Amino acid sequence: MTKTIDLGLNLLDHQLLDAEGRRCGKVDDIALEGGPGEDLEVVAILCGPGVWRARAGWIGRIAAWLGGGGRVRIPWEEVDGVGSHVKLRKRAEELGLGRGDDRLRPYIEKIPGADH
Amino acid sequence: MKIFKVALGILAAIGGFVDIGDLVFNVAAGATFGYQLLWVVVIGVVGIIVYSEMCGRVAAVSGKAVFDAVRERVGFKAGLAALLSAQVVNLMTLTAEIGGLAICLQLLSGLPYRLLILIAGVGLLIVVWFVAFEWVERIFGYGGLCMLVFAVAAVKLHPAWGAVGHGFVPHLETQSPVLYAYFAVGLLGAAMTPYEVYFYSSGGVEERWGPKDLGLNKVNAMIGYGLGGFLSFALMIVGGALFLGQGIEPEFLGTIALGAEVPLGQIGLLLGLVGILFAVSGAAIDTLFSGAYNLAQFLGWEWGRYRHPRGAPKFTVTWVVLLVLALGVVMTGVDPVQLTEYAVIFSAVALPLTYIPIFLVANDRTYMREYTNGRIANVLGIVYLVVIMVIAVSAVPLMILTNVGQN
Amino acid sequence: MRTFSSIVGRVVETESGRRLGRCHDMRAVLGQGIPRVEELIVGRGGLLEHFGIGTPKAHSPNAVPWEAVLRIEGDRVVVRDGTELV
Repeated sequence: MTKTIDLGLNLLDHQLLDAEGRRCGKVDDIALEGGPGEDLEVVAILCGPGVWRARAGWIGRIAAWLGGGGRVRIPWEEVDGVGSHVKLRKRAEELGLGRGDDRLRPYIEKIPGADH
Repeated sequence: MKIFKVALGILAAIGGFVDIGDLVFNVAAGATFGYQLLWVVVIGVVGIIVYSEMCGRVAAVSGKAVFDAVRERVGFKAGLAALLSAQVVNLMTLTAEIGGLAICLQLLSGLPYRLLILIAGVGLLIVVWFVAFEWVERIFGYGGLCMLVFAVAAVKLHPAWGAVGHGFVPHLETQSPVLYAYFAVGLLGAAMTPYEVYFYSSGGVEERWGPKDLGLNKVNAMIGYGLGGFLSFALMIVGGALFLGQGIEPEFLGTIALGAEVPLGQIGLLLGLVGILFAVSGAAIDTLFSGAYNLAQFLGWEWGRYRHPRGAPKFTVTWVVLLVLALGVVMTGVDPVQLTEYAVIFSAVALPLTYIPIFLVANDRTYMREYTNGRIANVLGIVYLVVIMVIAVSAVPLMILTNVGQN
Repeated sequence: MRTFSSIVGRVVETESGRRLGRCHDMRAVLGQGIPRVEELIVGRGGLLEHFGIGTPKAHSPNAVPWEAVLRIEGDRVVVRDGTELV
């Protein structure tokens, strides 16, 4: 029995977890290949502030600008499973995710008490 | 041992239940209408119990906190609207709490207000950064228990208990219906302030509640908020016994503290102020984290109150920035008690965007498996959604019509 | 490359102009490799499903098979005449 998923209900806006279970963003949009008259396939997950531009009108554009406009494309092959979270096969850094946290961490670590 | 843990959790919840919004509105309602609005407090307490239990169940069964589920369920656009309104209301509430804290410190120390704002802000920052959150909860929860002095005060003031009893029976006031409605809306808004459920559900996820904790969740919600509601009754009774008809409007926290001093003397005043201090600080911390949770959960960042700051850098920066922002606003000299009233009223407007998604998720089998809402939760849930929508629509008009409760 | 969000939200109508509803979601088959879109979830019933009210059935009564789609243009999705909500 083949499993079906509703892309909007079960994939879009769901939490991404990397191979170590680290939270690294949400599914902001889904990349499809194909069109009318041929197969339409899910090829990648799109993630990042730049992706919001298309999703919420002018507020989305402002939010995208505030967030720095970055976009990350995660090919479907990197997806391990879709359940209540979307599990990825690799670690966040390897996929270009979690960069904000990684960039800030060195500064925070310098402050005493950041490790307690 | 588990019973002990439950008891601790409940104690902390009681101490943490009353925040500056509850304080201001319950005492002011007592001062204006005596005991007549007690029944509204009951409605508010039942409402927060019903929805906390729902949020806690969502956290336990799905492993998701409110804003995770909100974005998944209603989408990016509507979720963003919910996020923005939650952040605005949150910031107002946080600012009011910090201002209230500074006033408390001023009443206790006599130092200048502006300096105390800084001390309050820096103090909160240091405590939250360096102290493990389990201890933060305990310190502020138990400290807040000093608020029980108001319950003692309520009894010692010998209120007309018949009138108090009558206040629990729902009735509508005919002499100043608009002002009465304003206070009803304010009391409900204060009892069901959004940050409470956001904070509670995030805690449930972090503590990795599972289906086995559903009983604990129910007990926490009912007894914790129930006993907290009991504190609200005490505040309204004190307000009614002392201030009704005296032409005193408790616009100052000092006046509220009088409620403990008049029947109990200096020790009452001290306990009352200490209780307010811890309750308001605890609420400030909860509100602060709530704001950071909402953003982090909406965007899929790493988050957590029990994590080291280095484990969740963006989340950490978020709460520090929120704290600094709130401090900045308090520094402009805005009156915290006035701001509290605005914060509560605007919270009331934001209630539907908070609670409707929770209700939807709690009924969704893909999240909740066999633990979706039972009949009681659904009936009460819908009843409260109706109540919330009525409040949300009438809050701002009532605020304008009554000139923010002055009338 | 198209995005999910660029298709969802469009009005779905037949070539002769009969409006079937708005596209609210897509159902895809998870096979061995890449998921393939099987149908578009359309119409008012589809909106309720999107909000999670009611359990989605294997073949929802508000779906349009992808094979029926002729073209995507402007702000519409145009499907073959005779396509009914299944």
